Amino acid sequence: MTQDEHKEGIKGMANPRRYGIERVAYWLMRLTGLGLLAYFIGHIYETSNILRGQVGWDEFLELTQTTEGHAILAIVIAMCVFHTVNGIRVMLGHGGIGVGKPARPDYPYDPASQNYRHKIGIYSAIVLAGIAMLYGLAVMFGE
Amino acid sequence: MRESTIMKIHYGTALAAVALVAVHILMRLTQGFAESLEYENVLANYKFIPYAGMLELILILLSVHGFNGLRVILLELKQGRIYEKAVSYGSLTAMIVLIAYGSRTIIMTNMGMV
Repeated sequence: MTQDEHKEGIKGMANPRRYGIERVAYWLMRLTGLGLLAYFIGHIYETSNILRGQVGWDEFLELTQTTEGHAILAIVIAMCVFHTVNGIRVMLGHGGIGVGKPARPDYPYDPASQNYRHKIGIYSAIVLAGIAMLYGLAVMFGE
Repeated sequence: MRESTIMKIHYGTALAAVALVAVHILMRLTQGFAESLEYENVLANYKFIPYAGMLELILILLSVHGFNGLRVILLELKQGRIYEKAVSYGSLTAMIVLIAYGSRTIIMTNMGMV
């Protein structure tokens, strides 16, 4: 890392374009995690409306079962699938699976763990998230 | 608790939650999506004890995983003894509050207190 990169501070670290798909996956993992936590809290509140009886439940469904509600749910599906698939990739990596064998660091010092297997894992997570989102949209809008 | 133990819990809750959430979503697809959300159907789901038990398990697993994930993200951003303690205890408190609130819905609906 050059001196100029250090000067950028947290913005330099956060730049998803500089460090390849692994940095993009790092950010997507955190953003989808936060999004899913927000949805989970909302979902717990949403389902608690059943305690208000049929009227309360139907009132709340009218708010959520809309075009906007379905679009948000489709995004949640995509976030869920990406977070799951990429999470399994990260777990495997932490377990030493797919990260290559230890070797002497030689020029150009490519990190052995950032290999094609893990890149395929990240791209697969993105593609599967897209497919799941489309399937979710088909189910929700197909009725 | 050691961070290595916490990460094992984090991964364990994730794997268990994936399996149970898959069942939860498949239950929505056994009927039409909109039909499965009708009041009587949802009430019947809650009154079916094995399903209610599974919902409680999902609630606990996702709360533990979610708030520990939030704790990890916050600890990556900033460090310090007081800050780390505040984040850890704050996450634990939020986790307990969410589990208590969600359990209240499951228990009251299951027992017919609607």
